[in-house]
Amino acid sequence: MQKLIQKAFRAFCVVLLAVCMSSYAYAQNLNVTGQVTGKDDGLTVPGVTVSVKGTTQGVITDANGKFSLSVTDGATLVFTAVGYDRLEAQATTSPMKIVLTSSNSNLTEVTVVGVTIKKRDLTGSVGSVSEKVIKERPTTNVNQAIQGRVSGVLVQNNDPRPGGASAIKIRGNNSIQFGANPIYVVDGLVIDGNFNTINPDDIASIDILKDASATALYGSRGANGVVLVTTKKARKGEGKIEYNAWAGVQSFTKNIPYLNAQQIVDLRLDAYANRYMDQNPGADRNTYIQSLLNPAGSAAFGADELRVYNAGESYNWLNEIRQKGVQQNHTVSFSKGSDDGSSVYVSFNYTDQKGLLKTSNYKRFGGQVNLDQKIKPWLKIGTNTNFTRTEERYIDGGVFNIAANANPLLPINNTDPYLSWKGITSTDLYNPLRSLSIDGQGNQNRLLTTNYIVATIIPGLNVRSGFSVEARNQNYYNYIPRDLGQSLRNSTEGSATHKKEDWLNWQWDNSISYEKTYGKHNISGLLSFGLTKNNYDYTQVDAQGFAIDDFSFRNLGAGYKKDRFNLASDFNTYTLTSYVARFNYNYDNKYFATLTSRYDGSSRFDTGQKWGIFPSLALAYNIAREDFMQGSMLSTLKLRAGYGIAGNQNIPNFGYASLTNAVYSSGSVYIVLADQMGNPNLRWEKQKQLNVGLDLGILQNKITLSADYFIIHNDDLLMPRSLASTTGFTTVIENVGSLLNKGVEVNINAQVISNKDLQWNVSANLSSYRNRITKLYGNTDAIYRYGGFTGVEIQREGNLFLGKSLNSIYTYKFEKIAQQSDMDRVSQIDYNGRTIRPGDIIPADINGDKKIDDADRIVVGNTDPKFYGGFASDLTYKGFGLNAVFNYNVGGKRINYLYEGLLGGTGEYAAHTDELNRWTPTNTNTNIPRAYQGAGRYGAGETDYAVQSAAYLRLSALTLSYNFTGDFMKKAKLSTLRVYLTGSNVFTSTPYKGYDPEGGDSYPTAKMFVAGVNVAF
Amino acid sequence: MKKRYILIPVALLMALTTSCKKFIEQEPQTSLSEEQVFSSIKNTDLFVLGLYTRWRDTKKDRAGFIFSLGSDESQQGAYQVLTDDRQAGIDRYNGFLTASNTALTQQWDTRFKIIYAAAAAINGLNTINSDDPLKNVLLGEASFIHAALEFEMTQYWGEIPVLDKAKQAEYGYRRQPLPVVYASIIADLETAVKNLPETQSEKRRVTKGAAIALLGKVYLYAPEASGVRDYAKARDQFKTLVDGGRYQLVANYNDLWDPQKPNSSESIYEFQFNNTQPDNNQTQWQMGSRSLAELDQYCYFGGYDLMVPTIYAYSDAADGGVWETGDQRKEASIRYDFTYKGKTPTLNPSFGGDELDPHVKKYEDVRTDGKLTFWLSGKNIFYLRYSDILLCYAETLNETGATAQAVQLVNSTVRKRAWGGTLPAAATWDAGMSPADFRTHILDERMRELCFEGWRRMDLIRSGKLVDLVKQRNKWTKQSNTIQPFHNRYPIPLLEIKQNEDISESDQNPGYSNN
Repeated sequence: MQKLIQKAFRAFCVVLLAVCMSSYAYAQNLNVTGQVTGKDDGLTVPGVTVSVKGTTQGVITDANGKFSLSVTDGATLVFTAVGYDRLEAQATTSPMKIVLTSSNSNLTEVTVVGVTIKKRDLTGSVGSVSEKVIKERPTTNVNQAIQGRVSGVLVQNNDPRPGGASAIKIRGNNSIQFGANPIYVVDGLVIDGNFNTINPDDIASIDILKDASATALYGSRGANGVVLVTTKKARKGEGKIEYNAWAGVQSFTKNIPYLNAQQIVDLRLDAYANRYMDQNPGADRNTYIQSLLNPAGSAAFGADELRVYNAGESYNWLNEIRQKGVQQNHTVSFSKGSDDGSSVYVSFNYTDQKGLLKTSNYKRFGGQVNLDQKIKPWLKIGTNTNFTRTEERYIDGGVFNIAANANPLLPINNTDPYLSWKGITSTDLYNPLRSLSIDGQGNQNRLLTTNYIVATIIPGLNVRSGFSVEARNQNYYNYIPRDLGQSLRNSTEGSATHKKEDWLNWQWDNSISYEKTYGKHNISGLLSFGLTKNNYDYTQVDAQGFAIDDFSFRNLGAGYKKDRFNLASDFNTYTLTSYVARFNYNYDNKYFATLTSRYDGSSRFDTGQKWGIFPSLALAYNIAREDFMQGSMLSTLKLRAGYGIAGNQNIPNFGYASLTNAVYSSGSVYIVLADQMGNPNLRWEKQKQLNVGLDLGILQNKITLSADYFIIHNDDLLMPRSLASTTGFTTVIENVGSLLNKGVEVNINAQVISNKDLQWNVSANLSSYRNRITKLYGNTDAIYRYGGFTGVEIQREGNLFLGKSLNSIYTYKFEKIAQQSDMDRVSQIDYNGRTIRPGDIIPADINGDKKIDDADRIVVGNTDPKFYGGFASDLTYKGFGLNAVFNYNVGGKRINYLYEGLLGGTGEYAAHTDELNRWTPTNTNTNIPRAYQGAGRYGAGETDYAVQSAAYLRLSALTLSYNFTGDFMKKAKLSTLRVYLTGSNVFTSTPYKGYDPEGGDSYPTAKMFVAGVNVAF
Repeated sequence: MKKRYILIPVALLMALTTSCKKFIEQEPQTSLSEEQVFSSIKNTDLFVLGLYTRWRDTKKDRAGFIFSLGSDESQQGAYQVLTDDRQAGIDRYNGFLTASNTALTQQWDTRFKIIYAAAAAINGLNTINSDDPLKNVLLGEASFIHAALEFEMTQYWGEIPVLDKAKQAEYGYRRQPLPVVYASIIADLETAVKNLPETQSEKRRVTKGAAIALLGKVYLYAPEASGVRDYAKARDQFKTLVDGGRYQLVANYNDLWDPQKPNSSESIYEFQFNNTQPDNNQTQWQMGSRSLAELDQYCYFGGYDLMVPTIYAYSDAADGGVWETGDQRKEASIRYDFTYKGKTPTLNPSFGGDELDPHVKKYEDVRTDGKLTFWLSGKNIFYLRYSDILLCYAETLNETGATAQAVQLVNSTVRKRAWGGTLPAAATWDAGMSPADFRTHILDERMRELCFEGWRRMDLIRSGKLVDLVKQRNKWTKQSNTIQPFHNRYPIPLLEIKQNEDISESDQNPGYSNN
């Protein structure tokens, strides 16, 4: 919304400033009055800015759309309002009847589930992103387009693969594990996930509903926020053809500085010698080192390694699997709207992205048809239908990690099935170059269609029925050739996998709504009823034994190891029912109230627990509309408050029952209890949300500010908790406790310069939240998460502690690197079998009991950012535009697993160049532990040594554009021609030592340089 | 006119409201609930098969040998000790052998889940209304598995929670005193003896003989503190089995380890495996030599040296080891020769150093040779073998005053077979030996006969020799020199302490840190 205001005001201010610079010596001699109405509904439009062209003079229409002002004879009045086309009219002495046309009807209306409502009726906390903003960052992923543009919305691009999705969180974590993500509603259809099939070019606006009142219409599924996507509709008037295209080249944002072969040898020698000297004090270190370099038989090096070392070579395996990531995206659209409200919008899209690693790519093509038809004056029907096909080629999951951390002493080859260190082949390290021949492919067909019929029974009374379907099928195929390490290790002789998944989700929503104005009282009400059914099934086949690789995964029948074929399938269904009643009231557009109540039933709970009631109330006070505010500097002043309960049922199906699995073994089938214990007492998670907010505009809204404060008290938190094995199960889903989440969000926009040729806008947003677990089940003060190789180790992340953040990191505290002077103190502490010598990590004895044990393990921090957000600058000079979008994150921590591995200090694994500054008896002023081979000391991963700040400042998009105007456009019969160059992720500043504080370390994050064009005629 | 249209959706709405209660009832389509399983004998039968599979799977792979490490006959390979401190703690008996030792926690974790499931099956069978004769057989089988696992757990951990649905309210999840634990085990085995048939057509199912054998072992192995150690009762159980004549030693000790000769007359119960996942056991992956794995991934005695024999277990008596001249069991149990297809592997200097020292041979699965990775090794693994019962019987005879008869039994059966059917005079035990001498002899004899089959740790605990013998014979224990009497028990896992409200930090076994 703010962007729209900004847009309107920018146009307005350009005019004002242009006039300021000329003379304004006019006499005022004409009193003008009039009333503004909207063309669509004939209702009066309050809040329209009426300004005198060429002056700074202006007023705003009152609650009845009326205005009056005094102007010079012959003056032109300019009418601007959010959501309406700008209109100019000659001032007249007779009362003026001004009829404003909606600039685009779907900018003022949104379709929520089963009902279309006016955006201004979305009381509560809503953040919006317009088409213009979405355009500013060329991307095929909607979440990326809104990253950093709305307060309270944390978008993390944590899957940097081509076509990878982004994670999105609204107001931090509210639920713990289930449904921590918002839902997406595309033209009224609720979809969970796979948001990246939506073409950003088709989107007219995105509204993000953040508090309980705003999300109330989604109740059961909107507890963690709602991302409302509205696709484009035609504007009234002449037909329009648009073409948008861009192409770009990607590269890694960052490379990890690895030790080269020579440095690895030095490190390993140091490590072995340190161990040797510890075990044989007084021995001759140099003699020992020389013995390790003896090619005839070294305990530290393979013969081939020494050959490479002596030849002065070093090998970078990662370079062998990289490629240039070329990407392109094209959208063409056709639209036309007619006066009766019928319209058509058709678009086609094609995207082709090559990944940064060989063999990976992503292609998507699809089309959108949006159609609205007035069949009778009282009956309208419409559809928004989208079809998308994606095709992907995967690089095998382990390739990047193995190649990045490969032994630089190992000559590059694609013949060995496995890589080695010290001449010892590891069957876990499949040769990444050979793994490139794994044929992994996937595709997906997805149909999203929402269809409605709405009848206007009497003016203001609408009956609407909508039926929406999401039909999706996804196929995954993989073939591992015969002679790869993967096949040798498991004696598969070639293995093929097919996995076919189907989703069929439908939603049927029916509503009756009524709206009426009595004098200054505006009321509207809504009753609705909806059914949702989600079906999922999959079939998987794994086949082994292929005589030849030629068929890849395509000929399962040609597999001969029939006794090792594996079949799997599943079918499940879940259903929801909901009733909603909603009532809106406003008086004179000054005082607003919205009362909503939902009654939801879900198949995910046991009989007796299925239903939940979720009420909410929102109030707003538009102080700027008060008489006493007229003529003040404040052009907008609105207070908002909302309280409501939102429900969450995003748990796996059948959490209420202890289920069993039927498993094949030795020629028969047996039944075992599943790991999850049934909990018949499971009930709806209830989030009690309070939101207060303020909207402020000063200097004719040249500066606008919107701020919100929220408190979310989440009771009956749904979470799986681990169980003692004596219960017979591993986990149970429970309403385990309560969580308190508080935060603030601020958005600011300012027009710094706005004159005819030069405009400069800046905007910034900041969000901050804190969460704290206030209660856990029973008398428990901690719930642990287990994992690791054996599945029984307490993990550093994912544990819950009373009074702490949900996202705590729990481990031993790194105290310091031991120096000789610490030895006396260290010798008095029981390290449970570990030894600490100078240069090693000392864990802190937190409770001072001279013993390092479980009691010394503490919450050392959390991954929550202290605050995060973005800021943008938008500079235009004549046709040129320079737009920069920044994202930032301050205060979040992240365990750098990669760095921990690279600081092992053994020289028997890849290492970070920080090792060059490692502790030695002559380099003691350092934080890098000494080299050491073998076990017995504390590793970096056992303490918070590598818990690093994940703070960052990123220039996520920098765009230089040129908009053609004037005669050229007329001659070419073009309405828009814009060309631009964009750099994405151009620059990132972070103390984090992995690949990316957001994208993580499992796949490199990309930067991209793009050239693009927008044409319309 | 228009008013009519209002009625349509209103009527629809009313109709839907009534049917939507049904609409939100969904049932699982591909699994049964616990209640559905125990509502029919057929389903319960499949569930009992599941108990067997999960019990069998405790013997698989690395986890299957954790209890065998840190003994006087077997220890970890050097490369494993060098690279995994925590697992090494099981041999070193040092500060890494604590409540958070993951290898031990995993043993606890998997076993209690099966014990729970067995208890659920027993409860289901006790409450179901059915006169299907299969019901009692299943009750016997579930009771047997319940007892076998509780027995294993209490041997290593001492007081353990007793999972019995009928007594859940009384017992909770507390550690129970030893008499309660053993009473539960004995009651289960008595149920098993009563209900199990003499033979089962499916080899994975236990028989009456197995229940009698295990009951005998429980009376023999139970610690004094349990109040149920009773040599006479044990003797009577074993005698029933021996007199019954159903079980016979196979003539050739080597045949026991031939994958083509499973489920022989000597087998009272063995875990059934094969070479196809998930029914392989990966055992050779853990037992074989890394040097051979390096030479050829499909060599059937390659592997990764998790567990290797101690010097004592592979050396001749002349060199201070356990083996007497002429004992055929030595070559059958231990691999000394690593020549493969004419190639002699060399020791990679960067390995641990013991890769070409003698290795465990009993699990080699020659069926995989040249065709399959040794990860797919899948020979059956013995649980109760008749020769074990004979040796136990001899022990109970010795303890009940019939030492001469005990000596005679060992000479004429187990040792006779070990020398190929003719026991030379030099190897014949003296019938006049003292009961104390017999005890010493039988402990070594059990190693020779049963080494690496999983009973050693219990034998050391019950004879009170764990600390002494392991410190002498296990390389890592000796090197670390930190083993103490409290190590006769394992630590209660931190995972259990933290999540079981009935077990607190102070309930830890003495000597262990909750770390």
